[in-house]
Amino acid sequence: MIFSRISKAALDRFRSSLQIRAVVYTVALSGTALIILGGVLSVSIGNGLFSRKTEQAVIESNRAKFTVSRLFEGVSGQGLSGLQQVLGEVVPELESIGVSQTRQVAFLHSATQPNPKNLPSPTTAGMDLSVITPDFRALVTNEVGVQSRTVQVLRSGESTPAVLIGQKFTLPGGHNYEMYLVYDMYNEQQSLVFVQRTLVLGGLITLMIIGFFSFLVTSWLVRPVQEAADASEILANGDLDRRLAVRGSDVAAVLATSFNHMADSLQEKIKAMDELSKMQQRFVSDVSHELRTPLTTMKLAADYLYGNQDGLPEFTQRSIVNLHGQMDRFDILLADLLEISRYDADGVEPAFDVHDLNGIVGVCLAAIQPFADSKNVYLEADIPSGSVQCEVDSRRIERILNNLLTNAIEHGEGKPVVIRVAQNDKAVAVSVTDHGIGMNKQELSHAFERFWRADPSRKRTTGGTGLGLAISFEDAQLHLGQLEVTAEPGVGACFRLTIPKRHDITAYESPLPLAVDNA
Amino acid sequence: MFKILIVEDDDALREQLEIGLMASGFEVCYAATGLEAVPAFEKHKPDLILLDLMLPGKNGIEICSEIRRSSGVPIIMLTARTDDSDMIRGLEAGADDYVTKPYKIEVLVSRIKARLRPPKEVLHPIIKIGPVEMDTLSHEVRKGDKKIALTPLEFKLLLTLASHPNEVFSREMLLEQVWEYTYKADTRLVNVHVQRLRSKIEDDQEDPKLVLTVRGWGYKAGPE
Repeated sequence: MIFSRISKAALDRFRSSLQIRAVVYTVALSGTALIILGGVLSVSIGNGLFSRKTEQAVIESNRAKFTVSRLFEGVSGQGLSGLQQVLGEVVPELESIGVSQTRQVAFLHSATQPNPKNLPSPTTAGMDLSVITPDFRALVTNEVGVQSRTVQVLRSGESTPAVLIGQKFTLPGGHNYEMYLVYDMYNEQQSLVFVQRTLVLGGLITLMIIGFFSFLVTSWLVRPVQEAADASEILANGDLDRRLAVRGSDVAAVLATSFNHMADSLQEKIKAMDELSKMQQRFVSDVSHELRTPLTTMKLAADYLYGNQDGLPEFTQRSIVNLHGQMDRFDILLADLLEISRYDADGVEPAFDVHDLNGIVGVCLAAIQPFADSKNVYLEADIPSGSVQCEVDSRRIERILNNLLTNAIEHGEGKPVVIRVAQNDKAVAVSVTDHGIGMNKQELSHAFERFWRADPSRKRTTGGTGLGLAISFEDAQLHLGQLEVTAEPGVGACFRLTIPKRHDITAYESPLPLAVDNA
Repeated sequence: MFKILIVEDDDALREQLEIGLMASGFEVCYAATGLEAVPAFEKHKPDLILLDLMLPGKNGIEICSEIRRSSGVPIIMLTARTDDSDMIRGLEAGADDYVTKPYKIEVLVSRIKARLRPPKEVLHPIIKIGPVEMDTLSHEVRKGDKKIALTPLEFKLLLTLASHPNEVFSREMLLEQVWEYTYKADTRLVNVHVQRLRSKIEDDQEDPKLVLTVRGWGYKAGPE
């Protein structure tokens, strides 16, 4: 378990770090190259050592033949006993030739020629004759000249490569003999092992050095990429002033230059859009302000006409009533525009205080009752007893509720509108549910948009501005709360306002459900 | 008949205001620019001034402080800006109240009447608060031998507090009793005028002994 977790962590690190990957790949590839190189070296050194030994053995073997020939030169006349005596001297003589100390000698009577006189086949004491296989003997007997072969012999219990040299030899009197010399290559083998060990050790050290250097080089190469990545992250998080230092004129410098260029144009675009947006907001704000003075004059005039219409012709009176009513609507629209432009300009200064939500809801219900009566809508309030304390700007909460209630009554098609209040230990909530025309998914997604209307063809009865829910949404956010809506076409709509009890509460759940069919 | 000075640079609005105010039974005079405002005040001696804040020549805040140097005449600001800093600076310069455009003539008239109404008669003609003596008949205020000039609004504010010593008045109560607002209004009116009042009657404005703040509630008249 732990093992797999560690290996998983290592794997993650491997995947996430370009540098580690680069180092691992470099080391792996260099390692492969070193293994091949070491193998080739080891084989060729081994071959060199062994072939030199073989050559040497062949030369010595020739010398041995010459020596042995001389030994037998004088025995031609001495008969069998002389031959046997000389045969006894052959092995010690051959053992002492040349420089190779570790040499074994076998002077064997031919296996194919009968040996009626029972001539001996002297060998070095303790020699293992099994290395002289019959097929090699046959080779030596049938071919002309010196034959050699590599064999394995035991030396102090260890299997050691050795060179076996064989050549045929005819003694005076026509006796065929074969002379075998075995040169073991223990020293050569030891040298090869030493060379191989040196190669492995050297390879490992080289590999470590390569790893270290490739780490240095990649970190030097990766650094600009890493810097660019870090800078992009910082840029993405909104610090548009972030730039990279351009060093030299290599590809890293090109990267830095392009990055900076990109950041520049990004910053320019964002600045331009920012300015445009600010200009637009200021424009709305300025227009709204500029409209206020003429609007005040018109309102005063309309009010005056309205208050002094007695005795005027009927059409004039109707006109005055219309003018007066639309002035009020204009007034509300302008007030909403100013409010939203204040939100846009971050110029909102809420007056938070601890209030009883039940009290605020009560005030709103009382205020909206005449409108509900005029629409024949029954307002059903489900409000907990006691007080529901929360830290709010009561005027804004009243504004939200007034908005929600007006909408519910307007779209409720005469069916009851339910107002619920609830609290838990962290948050308070109010929901307003109607059972009227509702909204479909597409309409829902636009519910809090400015000047958006659920049904453009629908007649407006209260002269709402189209900004009401957008402002309510901002109001809710100002309280660190949430204004949410759910609806179903033909079933109704439910708006729910949830607000934390205090401003230091960030995580909370709404004490009320957000659903239409909970009547 | 009360005379009202309108300082407003928009001709149409000024004329419509004149019509509305005259129809409500006030005598009206006007100044069309900031520079004409103070001379018009000195010439017409109005009972109340309606002052637009955005004026050519001299802005409403300057005019306000200039008039306050010699007079406690009630001043109501007419402001198009809901930009609060202007409005607060106007109050600090001595304006008694403000009305934001667009307003209804009824609202404006009720604000004017509230400012022109004399304080209610009190049982004792002389009310004392610490070293400060208020003569409710002559509206004179003395601290020791020194006469203190309070505007009618400041007088009414101090009188309201001092008539019920050690009783706490919330800002909303003061708005209702001193400014005569019937619905919720801007409580900063109270804060600014309490500061102005303290600057006139307290020995040390930073350590008030006469008009005390009751944290979380409002104000009360001291000393205990």
